[in-house]
Amino acid sequence: MTLLRGPFRTRRRAPGAAGTRMWTWFMLPGTLWMTGFLIASLLLVAVLAVGTTDELGNPRFGFDLGSVRALADPAYTEVLARSLGYALLTCVICLLIAYPVAYTIALYGGRYKHAMIAAIVVPFFANYLVRMYGWSVVLSDDGPLLRALRSLGLADGGTKILNTGFGVVAGLVYGFVVFMIIPLYAALERLDVSLIEAGRDLYGGPVRTFFFVTLPATRQGATAGLVLVFLPAMGDFVSAQLMGGPDQIMIGNLIQDKFFQGQNWPLGSALTMLLMLVLLLGMLGYLRRTRKDEAEARR
Amino acid sequence: MSPEVPPPSRRAVLRAGACGLLGAAAGGCGFMPAKTPDEKDLAPVEARVDGDLVYFNWADYVDPSVFKGFEKEYGVKVIQSNFDSMEGMVAKLNAGNRYDIIFPTAKWAQRLARGGRLRRIDHSQLANSKAVFGKYTYFADPWYDPGSAHTVPFTAYKTGIGWRRDRIGDLTGSWKDLWNDRASGRVFLLDDRDEVLGMGALELGLDVSTGDAGDLNRITALLGSLRPRLRGFSSDSYNNLLNGNAVMTQAWSGDMAAMLNQAKDPSVFGFEAPREGTPINSDCYAVPWNAPHPGTALLFIDYMLRPENVKKNIEYIGYPMPVAGSEKVYAALVEPFPECIVTEDELKADLFFRNGGRAAEDARDTAWTHVKAG
Repeated sequence: MTLLRGPFRTRRRAPGAAGTRMWTWFMLPGTLWMTGFLIASLLLVAVLAVGTTDELGNPRFGFDLGSVRALADPAYTEVLARSLGYALLTCVICLLIAYPVAYTIALYGGRYKHAMIAAIVVPFFANYLVRMYGWSVVLSDDGPLLRALRSLGLADGGTKILNTGFGVVAGLVYGFVVFMIIPLYAALERLDVSLIEAGRDLYGGPVRTFFFVTLPATRQGATAGLVLVFLPAMGDFVSAQLMGGPDQIMIGNLIQDKFFQGQNWPLGSALTMLLMLVLLLGMLGYLRRTRKDEAEARR
Repeated sequence: MSPEVPPPSRRAVLRAGACGLLGAAAGGCGFMPAKTPDEKDLAPVEARVDGDLVYFNWADYVDPSVFKGFEKEYGVKVIQSNFDSMEGMVAKLNAGNRYDIIFPTAKWAQRLARGGRLRRIDHSQLANSKAVFGKYTYFADPWYDPGSAHTVPFTAYKTGIGWRRDRIGDLTGSWKDLWNDRASGRVFLLDDRDEVLGMGALELGLDVSTGDAGDLNRITALLGSLRPRLRGFSSDSYNNLLNGNAVMTQAWSGDMAAMLNQAKDPSVFGFEAPREGTPINSDCYAVPWNAPHPGTALLFIDYMLRPENVKKNIEYIGYPMPVAGSEKVYAALVEPFPECIVTEDELKADLFFRNGGRAAEDARDTAWTHVKAG
């Protein structure tokens, strides 16, 4: 939404009554969808967090604070802290990878711009899980990569990539880097190149111009990218499942465990609420930031 | 929200929201106590064609040519769908989906039968069931379903250790092998609460399904000493062995038999059933209470138990079946891994994972979180 704001604002005009009615109808499917599948499902999760299970392990509505109390177990705090660390690290690495890529495409892509963006986006049409399975084969101990490295003498029999923290973060970065590239590209594409020239004219070197002109001008794209990467990375369980070992378990893995093997939906729901609380705090920071940006822009 | 979009009438939005909430509330009804089915829904039926077969099982768990044969002989269609976990299967059943035949594990068969979710099966309707209950007397009255009143056993399997002989040589035949120094850093455990806690219990001489806090603390402490040597928790045991990520892994016998098909040289692999005991599990045929065509389901069970079809299925899936006369077929299939065979004695040792009460299940769940998350 942030991205669309610029062009929209210039075309603003008062809609007639017919227009209002049309927009109302357009709102309906979205409202239905969001209340039915997002808000109501969230309410269900919240209610189940204080629910119970019957003897068959089926979740039942009720009022029992046992699951909420179970969250005090330090195992959950530790795993949550690890997930937070991995997600933040993923954000930073994605930013470092995505900025040069987006910059190059937006400013030097010329007529190949769209083809290059397509080349980045198209592989992401394949399901994330399938791509991660593919990586787990490529990176396995007897897989092509380690075999090649071993024959070049760059790795020995004990070198591992899979089931390490490196593997998990690499998986997360690979999975979500596109969410960083696209908003950054959009921001850089809209960037007025004359601003950079002006910076240069004012005797700013390339580095100073970048940090005082280009970067602040694309900060909104970067923040949007950070949020888009952070949210799914924090809740991810596929990467830790396929690329991680016992010391890389993330909160998503534990939640999945509670809903499946553990047959403990109430505890799973309580963990989900805890995760959402942490994400919500992060989002509040983001919202305050964007509000401040908006206020500055209006001045 | 962009300021350009004029606000819709509040009433319209509220109405739409209410509809959405109602829809979700309907979904939430699944969490209300379920009504128990009538007695007539659970009474045994006659084996006769009463429609197409709606089949619900793990993917690839029956030889496709057996379906073709059944369709041809009885002039019905087999409508297949698959589940990927017991939890997923039960969730679909609870949501009101109707299937003629399902394949629960022993533990889940007990839960479903106790919850009044399975139709009783009259064994006299199944001509071939004598080969099962006559020879494998254990299944005539198994713990999960007294008198096998609602089920017929399909497969039986055990849990042991699979390893790479070419990397670490021979093992000693004990669960302690998992602590072997030569394998350290390349050991996997199954990503399965019962299997992992059960392995610890067997090594300590405890009940495999224990829910006792003291027992579970001892198991957690023991497994804590294994954790630094582990590479991960994964149920993909045979791929891990094949691609070299694992030199040793806790493994289900059926998966090891299936691996023999994939391995270029089976002699580099080994499978042992540790002497402290191996957890035993079995899958069975069952007919849900709301099955639309229970008669066809019985015909299908009987068809599956015919010797030629048992042979085809054993060769296709690699799991042994408790059917008299099929032992030689399985022994030939797993010739390099004779310990894959599940004997009547092993069944009688009764190392099945049982359903615990709510408190025991919660205690096991907490222990599993501690083993897994460290």
